Amino acid sequence: MSNQASITRLPQARRPALLGGYEWATLCLVGFAFAVPVLTRNPQILSQTNLILIAATAALGVYIMLRMDLMSFAVPAFMAIGGYTVAVLSLKLGVTDAILLGVAAFVMPALCAVPLGWLILRLKGVYFVLVTFVLTEIVQLLLFEAAPLTGGSNGLVGMPAVTLFGIELMDNSQVLLTTAGLAFAGFTITALFTRHFRYEFTAIEKNDVLAESLGLACWRYKALAFSVAAGVSGLAGFALVNMLLTAHPTSFAPMSSVSYITYTIVGGKGAILGTLAGAALLVTATDLFALKGELSPGLFGLLIIVVTLVARGGVIGLAAKAAGRMRRASPAAPARVAPIAAVQARGVKS
Amino acid sequence: MSASLTASAGALRADSISKAFGGLKVFYDVSFTLPPAGLLGVIGPNGAGKTTMINIMSGRLPLSSGQVLLGDTRIDGRPVYANADQGLVRSFQQTATFAGSSVEDNLIAALRFAKRDRSVLERLAPLLDRFGLIECWRRHAEVLPYGLQKMLGLTMALATQPKMLLLDEPAAGLEKSERANIDAYVGFAQREFGCGILLVEHDMDLIRRLCPQVIVLDGGRLIAAGPPGEVLNRKDVIDAYLGGTDEEDADAQHS
Repeated sequence: MSNQASITRLPQARRPALLGGYEWATLCLVGFAFAVPVLTRNPQILSQTNLILIAATAALGVYIMLRMDLMSFAVPAFMAIGGYTVAVLSLKLGVTDAILLGVAAFVMPALCAVPLGWLILRLKGVYFVLVTFVLTEIVQLLLFEAAPLTGGSNGLVGMPAVTLFGIELMDNSQVLLTTAGLAFAGFTITALFTRHFRYEFTAIEKNDVLAESLGLACWRYKALAFSVAAGVSGLAGFALVNMLLTAHPTSFAPMSSVSYITYTIVGGKGAILGTLAGAALLVTATDLFALKGELSPGLFGLLIIVVTLVARGGVIGLAAKAAGRMRRASPAAPARVAPIAAVQARGVKS
Repeated sequence: MSASLTASAGALRADSISKAFGGLKVFYDVSFTLPPAGLLGVIGPNGAGKTTMINIMSGRLPLSSGQVLLGDTRIDGRPVYANADQGLVRSFQQTATFAGSSVEDNLIAALRFAKRDRSVLERLAPLLDRFGLIECWRRHAEVLPYGLQKMLGLTMALATQPKMLLLDEPAAGLEKSERANIDAYVGFAQREFGCGILLVEHDMDLIRRLCPQVIVLDGGRLIAAGPPGEVLNRKDVIDAYLGGTDEEDADAQHS
């Protein structure tokens, strides 16, 4: 066999790309939000875009953990930590710089997630889910009880306007700019992070026993991801507090975690674009059908059941499947695209 | 334990290891040594504790008593990934690949996790070619035929460039014609990579062909050790094991 060695050639290695097609598309769409305040002054559109971006950024926390098949209900907890960090910094210390506050809103939850992750990530499957849910309840309780710092049931109000390079970002359209900046940061971090560690996350999702046997210290990557997910959630918390002009426990209700999970799963957990698509679709739908308040968690639950039964790839998975079918149906389809199909299948986890 | 297998630097040594799940003793006071670049066959009827032994030696399960040494380092009870870093890597009885990833990405994952570079893949090229994995380079692992998935899993283990390979029934579920691939694999691992191999198998022909030494487990005890020609003719071994020749087929079917 060794004399064959000289003639056996492996297929050419593909150059690893910085980001994949879905990631670029998602970043472009999120980046487009910067243009919305320029294109329109319609307060309805501005507020709707704001809500979608915040929801999508929050749902990224779910997306990151789902990359390793871990269902996290902890998003509102870390949003609260990020949001309250910003509120306290600006109220008590007078920090108003958007970049400084953004860094704080990311770092604080990420740091809190390190010891928590160390405790939680020993748990598997159902137990992990349960504990992350309890975590949001505990944070909720702390927000009410630690009144000197958090304002208790009154929350924190009267924060000075956020500034960027000394310019106050006060009115509707400027608030949207802040949100867009935070969302763009969140999406960029998530895209680069999940892309860089895609082999590790895929391996942990599909077969962690095999990954460990090949030398991968799975818990390190889970802990890292938990921490980054917390940081990104914190950015969403900042955006939410900045939009509502108040940091209040009810903004971070434990049940809202169901919404964030729904956005990711309905949109499609196989690609980051799914999270954005899911948030955009469902936030718009919630508004259209006026399902604000009590009904939406129940309906979202139903939607999750339907999607997991009928289309596990979510909206993006369905779209990719349809696109693949069209390409195959067209007679001009070159044969070389058929056997690869790696891009499409990412959205369609079996 | 026969004296023919002597301990030396870098050897994998089981030192009177025992394992019990609650009151159930899976195996009891088993000792053996696998010298560096050596090849040791492990046989025994179903339930003899063979897979449990691999789980223990790789670090997945803790021992009840005794110790496992790689060179001078005690490795039992350490995390699996830490032992893999030390060069002790196991394969799985069932197919073990990352579904949804291409053959190429599966191999790249193995290289990444073991902190090896792509040159290892070039060295493995003749083997990949022989198994027919190069033709399936960009196909997803889970759509490959069973035998190919199995060979992919084995090649991934080898791509980590282990010092010691623990192979858990590599031939199980393979057709007779595919089993020659295991011979090629074992030979390649020893010759090109200098791996020591612990080969757990039900296929007696394969054991006879490949292994200079075998140990026999039955009911959790080590009942015989030595060259296969000698050991497999012993009456107690035949009684314990070789009487049930249909076991092999049953095993192939359930996989």
